[in-house]
Amino acid sequence: MRVPFEWLRELTGIEASVDDVATRLTNAGFEVGAIHRAGEHWDRVVVGEVARIDPHPNADRLNLPTVNTGSEEIQVVCGAWNFEVGDRIAFAPAGATLWDPYADEPVLKELKPTRIRGVVSRGMLCSTKELGISDDHEGILVLDADAPLGRPLAEALGGEVLEFELKANRPDALSVLGIAREAAALYGTKVRSPIPEARPNKDGSSESVVLGIEDAALCARYSAALVRDVQVGESPAWMRDRLEQAGVRPISTIVDATNYVMLELGQPLHAFNWDTVRGGFIGVRTAQPGERLVTLDGQDRELTPETLCIVDAEGPVALAGVMGGLDTEVTEKTSTVLLESATFDPISIRRTAHRLNLRSEASRRFEKGLPPELTVLALRRCVQVIEEIGAGRGEFLTADAYPAPSDPAPVSLAFDRIERLMGVAYDRSEVRQTLSALEFGLDEDGDELCVTPPFWRRDVTAPADVVEEVARLVGYERIPDTLPTGQVMDLAPGEIDERDDEVRDVMAGMGFAECVTYALTSEARMARLVPPDLLDVPPEAPLGDADAWAAMRETAMNDAGRTLTDRLLPLDREPLRLRNPLSTEENALRLTGLGTMLETLRANRRHADRDLLLFDYQPTFLARDGDLPEEPNFLTAVIGERVSASRWNETGTVELPFVRGVVDELLSRSGVPVAEASHDGLQHPTFAAGAAAAVTSKGRLLAAYGEVDAEVAAAFDLDERTWALLVDMPAVREASAGAPLFSAWSEYPSALRDLAIVVDAEVTQAEVQDSIQRAGRPLLQSARLFDEYRGEQIPAGKRSLAYALSYAAPDRTLTDKQADRAHNRVVRALQHRLGAELRG
Amino acid sequence: MQERLDALLSAARAELSVATDDAALEQWRVTHLGRRSEVTGLLRSVGSLPREERRAAGQAANAARRELEAAFETRQSELRRSADGAQVDVTMPGYPVRLGSLHPLTRTLREIRRVLAPLGFRAVSGPEVEWDRYNFELLNIPADHPARDMWDTFHVDDKARPGELLLRTHTSPVQARVMEQIQPPVRVIVPGKVYRYEDRSAKNEAEFMQVEGLAIDEHITMADLRGTLTHFVRMMFGPDRELRIRASYFPFTEPSAEADMSCHACGGKGCSVCGGTGWIEILGSGMVHPKVLADVGYDPDVYQGFAFGMGVERIAMLKYGVTDIRSFYRNDLRFLRQLR
Repeated sequence: MRVPFEWLRELTGIEASVDDVATRLTNAGFEVGAIHRAGEHWDRVVVGEVARIDPHPNADRLNLPTVNTGSEEIQVVCGAWNFEVGDRIAFAPAGATLWDPYADEPVLKELKPTRIRGVVSRGMLCSTKELGISDDHEGILVLDADAPLGRPLAEALGGEVLEFELKANRPDALSVLGIAREAAALYGTKVRSPIPEARPNKDGSSESVVLGIEDAALCARYSAALVRDVQVGESPAWMRDRLEQAGVRPISTIVDATNYVMLELGQPLHAFNWDTVRGGFIGVRTAQPGERLVTLDGQDRELTPETLCIVDAEGPVALAGVMGGLDTEVTEKTSTVLLESATFDPISIRRTAHRLNLRSEASRRFEKGLPPELTVLALRRCVQVIEEIGAGRGEFLTADAYPAPSDPAPVSLAFDRIERLMGVAYDRSEVRQTLSALEFGLDEDGDELCVTPPFWRRDVTAPADVVEEVARLVGYERIPDTLPTGQVMDLAPGEIDERDDEVRDVMAGMGFAECVTYALTSEARMARLVPPDLLDVPPEAPLGDADAWAAMRETAMNDAGRTLTDRLLPLDREPLRLRNPLSTEENALRLTGLGTMLETLRANRRHADRDLLLFDYQPTFLARDGDLPEEPNFLTAVIGERVSASRWNETGTVELPFVRGVVDELLSRSGVPVAEASHDGLQHPTFAAGAAAAVTSKGRLLAAYGEVDAEVAAAFDLDERTWALLVDMPAVREASAGAPLFSAWSEYPSALRDLAIVVDAEVTQAEVQDSIQRAGRPLLQSARLFDEYRGEQIPAGKRSLAYALSYAAPDRTLTDKQADRAHNRVVRALQHRLGAELRG
Repeated sequence: MQERLDALLSAARAELSVATDDAALEQWRVTHLGRRSEVTGLLRSVGSLPREERRAAGQAANAARRELEAAFETRQSELRRSADGAQVDVTMPGYPVRLGSLHPLTRTLREIRRVLAPLGFRAVSGPEVEWDRYNFELLNIPADHPARDMWDTFHVDDKARPGELLLRTHTSPVQARVMEQIQPPVRVIVPGKVYRYEDRSAKNEAEFMQVEGLAIDEHITMADLRGTLTHFVRMMFGPDRELRIRASYFPFTEPSAEADMSCHACGGKGCSVCGGTGWIEILGSGMVHPKVLADVGYDPDVYQGFAFGMGVERIAMLKYGVTDIRSFYRNDLRFLRQLR
């Protein structure tokens, strides 16, 4: 809300500077977002007089006014025509600084002499937009005839305007008077109320106005005043200036007067053309089925049954609190006006304004809840203003319906409640004085204080509210710094798992950069995780239907793939969708972070050709019927094709064992040792055939990793080999053995033996390792694979595996003979069980 | 004998110090330690000395020989070192080390937790998809309350319970969730993602991180709130920071306060970071509204306490000098590596 400072001064008599007032009001809870200083940039703009207007020799649309600045006459070229010889206008000579009316953003620019169609222009007649007063760029600003010639415009027009960012709990502060009350309390001055005393209506003049409120819950009070001999025309300059400074566009006397009073007192008013209201009746009720109304904006609206309307004897004439009707609009021909000043139900107004997308200065005030006491005060003031500007003569109150009067309830609290809550003492006289300054009624009974809020402070209903009034008016500077004492908790519900930190640390330690990505995504983005020919579906259902997925589960996945689809990559589930998405690009909550991470990889690939190792560890959202969704933290990692090797420009290509190394490290650091996780081939459309694995422990899927299918990668604009890793961390936690336990090793030297064997290509490394472990007991300490070979030097269909074996006994140094004996047992077992041959 | 050895040693040392390459060194070795060297000759001649002198002479000659050998080795390694030194360019860059990075938001969140943990605040989490009841109603924001305009909300399409499911607009619903489950004392912080139906721009995100703080007990005061916040800004932004709180409004606190800290960039003189005011708005806070306490079953005449909430990106932007909030979600490696 914009409050002209001079208006605030008028109501408070405060002498302090605008900056001081802004700071104190801000600290007291009325945040001044900006102080607009009209004329700040008008250093050379002056009041000028049009001395002569000549035609432009080369352009019919332009004219050549000569401006008298009091000291000289200057000819300019002008495109506006809304002025005459003798008018006082805002004149900017060359060298002045003005707002550029054609720029999208506010830009100041210096005015230079320019030649326009052959005539030199040495200045400019200004529009309000160029001066930064309003957005109006139609025609130049014509000043009052008594504007002082040659004086800086800032003196004639300027003034500071405070722009408040007001909170939802103080409808009373949506007015100059409301702000004035706060300011007066802060500065210890007295508010000069602009509201006149009541006066009796003249005998016999009162035409009857019949009021009918159907439901007091929807309209607590309806007050009306008749104004006769109405003169609709332009309002005087002082009123137009104030309205403009407050950001309201002047229209005509009656409308301007109602807006002026709304700004001043916070009560919205509406003016009906009484001549067009049928039956001398005004009622308030909800619309009946089929009723329509043409509103002031010319729209013919069908009224829904919950819409609160103002009706005359025959039907709706206005949307209560939101917008008037066209038929009863005040025009230049109107002779009698009925002023409406009412208290409507905030919720009803809010709903109607939202539904019709018609939020106005009036509806904003109604929906915060206005006090019924205000209606009659605002009418008096409005009629007084109308009479003052010569726009009619009226009654202060013609009719008033207030079916169920209510007063704000008093609030009781013990004096020491204030110190108990604030942690600092306030003495009683200070409390009394502060609350009195805010016009609260006070009553005391020993240590108990009974506070009656003024009618405009219906937000104060509980002791804490009263405490806040005292604390904020005295100032929060009073509050000292202390630290909370007392007991602390042992464990809180929903405590964050510290192991989540470790997951991030381990991944970062392995070279991955942590990403934090959006949870909002689109179904289309998730659908790109499956090759398009498998999911041939219409764009409106990009994730396909149950049949497509059933077929895919059957033909394109093995058991591991199906298990992966059940939870960790649940692309066949319905995602949670937004009812009001910002765009179709982010209309759903993610089922997996993989799509977003592939996009992130692609974006980074544009400026890096190696070491693209990224992970994301944020929730995904799995819907549950009638309950909140499950929000498991799945870890998603993606890896680009090349990683740095040991010298400056050496790179290696990522292969499956690279990713496996990451998985092993992460799982074992999370309490699932390598020996307890089994890795099996994974067939799933997101992953390349034969280059992916699923990790299970005790029958539960923990992770999946592998090369991303080339078609899927291409859908994300990636034309290189790309690797992905998905980990179900909650499942890993459940499979975890907890904190690692110490196991002792042999203190005696180990005997090392290498072993290279040739086996059928179908024999897996796991089988070989298993045989080695079994046969090597009890002396075998470890068997580390160090090479794999397929090629010319061994027969087709075979491969060679090489291991480094280490033997040791817990209680003695092994002799060569003992180590050989153990090693030979391993060799024989491999030959016997797996048909292995020793190599070279 | 001893004089001869001394003379021999000092001559040999002098020669050794001017030997600057392998050939000169070898020449020296042959001359002074070889089979025909003087010291070898002396050792051989020990046998011809009278019996009572032999022992001392043998020891002296052997000591001299050992001394020459040691001098030779020292000189040899000296020469090697200087020869190698000439070949290594110590300005060469190191080989690439593949160490990853934590996201700046993770780092900032951890720092916030680290600062508040010693004051007894335990970090808890809650659901990001939330019921209207927890996000609004239990925080004293009933349906159709104008305060709802303070939070533009994403609604989730839910046929089973239409209109009730939403993306939480703040971490405050976790206040109610925690208080429903345990009796005071309560002292928690709640880090997590929140959502606002707002177009993304350099200043506004539709998704961002918040940290909520809540302390409830019998005697927790607004002064305790102020002290906690002062401690927080000083630990995060330096011991010279000043805190200013001013009156504000949130439906779930009464009294409410917004907190500003003196600008860490200019020390409060006014600069572009603080918009010339010397103060930076940092968080919203207040004493938990009695209605909120009563609605979770706490007796507001017995228990009271404070709550505060801050935007993590805002803290991180101030700490790291980031000017566009969307940078945190673009995950550009150049950004992530700079701020790790």
